[in-house]
Amino acid sequence: MTYAKIIKQLKKLPGIIYGLVIIIAFFGVTADYFLTFMNMMNILKQASVLIVVSLGMTLAILLGKIDMSVGSTMSLVGVVTGICLHKGISIPLAICIGMAVGSIIGFINGYLIGYRKFDYWIVTFSNMGIAQSLALVITNGATIPGFDSSFRFLGDGQIYGVPVGILIAMAIALAIIYLSYNTKFGSNIYAVGGNEQVARYSGIDTSKVIFKTYILSSLLAGFAGILLVSKVNSANPIAGSGYEFDAIAATLIGGTPFDGGRGGVLGTIIGACIIATLRNGLNMLGLTPPIQFTLVGFIIILIIIFDVLNEKYKAKKGGAANEA
Amino acid sequence: MSDQIILQLKGISKQFPGVKALDNVSLDVRKGEVHVLLGENGAGKSTLMKILSGVYKKDSGKIFLDGKEVEINSVNDAENLGIGIIHQEFNLLPHRDIAQNIFLGKEPTKRGPLGVKVLDKATMYSKCNELLKTVGIDLDSRILVKDLGIAQKQMVEIAKALSLANLKILIMDEPTATLTKGEIDKLFSIIRKYKSMGISIIYISHRMEEIQVIGDRVTVLRDGKYIGTVPVKETPPSELIRMMVGREITNLYKRDYNEPGPEALKVCNLSSRGKFKDVNFSVRRGEIVGFYGLVGAGRTEVAKAIFGEDKYDAGEILINGKKVKHHMPSQAVQNKMGLLPEDRRDEGLITKMLLKQNVVQASLRKVFPKGILNNKVESQIATKYIAKLNIATPDENVVVASLSGGNQQKVVLAKWLLTDSEVLIFDEPTRGIDVGAKAEIYELMNDLAKSGKAIMMISSDLPEVIGLSDRIYVMYQGKIVAEFNHENASQERIVNFAIGRGDTL
Repeated sequence: MTYAKIIKQLKKLPGIIYGLVIIIAFFGVTADYFLTFMNMMNILKQASVLIVVSLGMTLAILLGKIDMSVGSTMSLVGVVTGICLHKGISIPLAICIGMAVGSIIGFINGYLIGYRKFDYWIVTFSNMGIAQSLALVITNGATIPGFDSSFRFLGDGQIYGVPVGILIAMAIALAIIYLSYNTKFGSNIYAVGGNEQVARYSGIDTSKVIFKTYILSSLLAGFAGILLVSKVNSANPIAGSGYEFDAIAATLIGGTPFDGGRGGVLGTIIGACIIATLRNGLNMLGLTPPIQFTLVGFIIILIIIFDVLNEKYKAKKGGAANEA
Repeated sequence: MSDQIILQLKGISKQFPGVKALDNVSLDVRKGEVHVLLGENGAGKSTLMKILSGVYKKDSGKIFLDGKEVEINSVNDAENLGIGIIHQEFNLLPHRDIAQNIFLGKEPTKRGPLGVKVLDKATMYSKCNELLKTVGIDLDSRILVKDLGIAQKQMVEIAKALSLANLKILIMDEPTATLTKGEIDKLFSIIRKYKSMGISIIYISHRMEEIQVIGDRVTVLRDGKYIGTVPVKETPPSELIRMMVGREITNLYKRDYNEPGPEALKVCNLSSRGKFKDVNFSVRRGEIVGFYGLVGAGRTEVAKAIFGEDKYDAGEILINGKKVKHHMPSQAVQNKMGLLPEDRRDEGLITKMLLKQNVVQASLRKVFPKGILNNKVESQIATKYIAKLNIATPDENVVVASLSGGNQQKVVLAKWLLTDSEVLIFDEPTRGIDVGAKAEIYELMNDLAKSGKAIMMISSDLPEVIGLSDRIYVMYQGKIVAEFNHENASQERIVNFAIGRGDTL
C-alpha cells in the first residue's frame, strides 16, 4: 500500500524529476566519466548527507519558517562525535552524545520560536553563529583526523557496491516521508505552515508542533554531520558551513516554497539529488565550487520563473473556462 | 424549540490591553433555538463567542452547560463539550483538501507499523464524504480548498463545525457575509434541520432581514455590555437598532441631489480578457454613481484597471475630457484619482504605521517637496483631518491597526482628500462597518459630492446603492447590463439584471 502511495506521490511531483533526468543526460554527454557506476555511487554518497539535512530544513520551511542553524549544527555534532571517538568512547555512545549536543540547538530554536514567539530568523540565525563558534572553540579550529574503519563504514562503506550512507539516508527519508504524510504530527506541520491561526482555532497545540519540528530538524542536521565526518574521515569544525544554502536550495527546487504549508519532503529528496549531481558534474567539467553556487542560484530562479509561468498558464486556462 | 435552557453564560468579563472587551455579560440559550447575537462592531460579540469556543480565556464569570458548570480552557475543551464554531474569517488551509480541513486537529488515527499512531485516512475520507452528503454538498473530499468557490468554502466551514460528534451548540459568526441569496436559503434550511434535532445555534449577524427570518430570540450587546434579550417576532427592527446603537437612526441615507457638473471620468469600451468587456460609463462632478452586481461581476476589476493596478486590453479612459492611460497607480494619483479599496487592511492602509503617516502616504511629494519628512507637519495635517472627518482616535500617533473599521475607512478617505483627488472610487465603502459609523461615512460622501467631487461607488449593499447614488450601473458577467437613475431605481429590477435575468418582472 505504501508502495502504491509512493508511486502516486511521485506522479504528483513537480516536473522537477524530469529536471534531474535532463541534468544527468547533459553530463552524461559532456563529461567522460560521468555515467560510470563508480561515479553514480559517488554522487549518491554526496547526496546522502544533503538529503538528511535537507529533510529537516524542509520540515522547518513547511512550517512557514526556516532553520538557518542546520549547517553549523552539522559541524558542531561532527566535531563533538569526533572528539568522543578519539577519547575511546564507543561508536553508538559517541553518536548519541553528538546528537544530544545538536538537539540542544534545536531545543533552543524550538523553545524560543514555539513557546516564546521569537522571530524564527533571528533565533536560528543567532544559533547558526553560536553553534559554529562552539565547534571552533572546542577544536581550537583544528580538524580532527582519522577514525577507525567500523565508524567509517557509515559514510564510506558499501554493501554489494551500494554506499551504506545512501541506504541510511533512504531509510531516514522513508521515515520522514511517512511521518509527514501519515501522522498527526505531519499533518499539524502543514496546518501551522498553512495558517497558524487556523491551526490554533482547530485545537492544535501550535507551540508544541513548532518545538518538535525544530528538535527534529537539529537531530537530522546532527546525523548528517556524523555521516559527513564518517565519509571524509575527519571532523572539520567548518565542514557543515554552506549546507544550509544547499538544504534551502534542495527544498525550493523540490517544490516547497517559503510561504509554508505546501510542498513536501519527497520533492526535496529529488532536489538534493539534483544539487549533488550538479556539483559532481560541474567538478568533472572543471568548474570549481565557487562558480557552482552561481549555477545553483540560477537554477532556483529558473524554477521559480517556470513555476510562475505555470501558475499563470493555469489561471488563464481557468479564466477561459469561466468565460465559456 | 423548548424552554429548556442548555447553555448559560453568567457575568463574563474580559479585558484586553487598553479595552474592556466584555463587562459582566450574560447570555442564556435554549435547546434547539436560533439565538441571535446582535451588536455593532466592537460590541464584544466575537470576543464572547471566542471565549465560549475556547480561543480566548475569560477573566471572570461562569459557564453552565446542561446545568453543570464547565471550564473551557482550550478549543479542545469546547469541542469535547459539543460546542462548535464557524469563525467570521475563513479558517481553512487552501493547500489541504476538504477532508484534511474538516478533520484538522481531530483526525481519526489507528495503530500503524511498530505500533505508532498514524492517520486513518480511509476512515477520514469515508466519514468526510458522508458528512458532505448530510450538509448537502456534492463535492469530492479530496479537492483542495483553494480550488473551491467562496460559497463552497463556507459550506466546508459548516461541515467542519458539524463534524463534532456530540454537537450541542453551534456558533455562526456572520456566516452569510459572502453568500448569495440562494446559498443563504440553503444555509437556512440546514440551520432549521439541525435546530429540529435539538441543536442550539448562536447566530451573529448584522442583517436585520435575516434575523427576522431565522432568529428566535435576540441578545443585544453594546460596548461590551449586555443590553437585553428579546423575542424576534415581537420586536420591530427599529427597536433592535435602537438597542444596538443606543440612539435612533432615522435616515441612514441622506443625499442632497444637485445639478451635476461636467464629466470628470469617462470610460469608453474598456475591455480586459476574462474580466470585463465593452464597459462604457461616465461620472460627472457632484455625482455619486453606484455600481451594483454579484461578487465576480467585474466591478472591482474595472476599478483596478482604471486606477492602473491591472492591465486592460482595449478601450479608453478620459479624465476631465483628457485621454489618459495609467500603467501604474502612481500615474492615476497624479491625475487626481483616489481608490478606497474593498480590502482596507491590506490595500488601503499600512496598518502597522501610525495614523498620521497613513494620512500623508499618498502626498509625500506635495507635503514635503524637499524629500525630508517632518513629524510636526505630519501631526498638524493629521489633526486637521481627525477633526474634519470626526475620526474617533486618542490622537494622530496611534497605529492604524488599533482603529475600528469605520475609523480606518475615514483615514483612507483623509489620505485621498489630502491629495486633492477629484475622482474617488469607493469599493464597498461600508463593508464590515457598524451602523453608526456607516451613517457618518454616507454623510461624508454626500458632502464630497456636494463639493464637486466625482464618486464611483462599488457596493453589494443594495439599499446603500439605491439610497446614495445619482445613477446606478448594474454589471453582470463583466458587462454593464443596465443603467438607472435614482428616481426609477427599484430593488427588484436591479437584482433581476444583476443575476442575469434581464428586465423580466
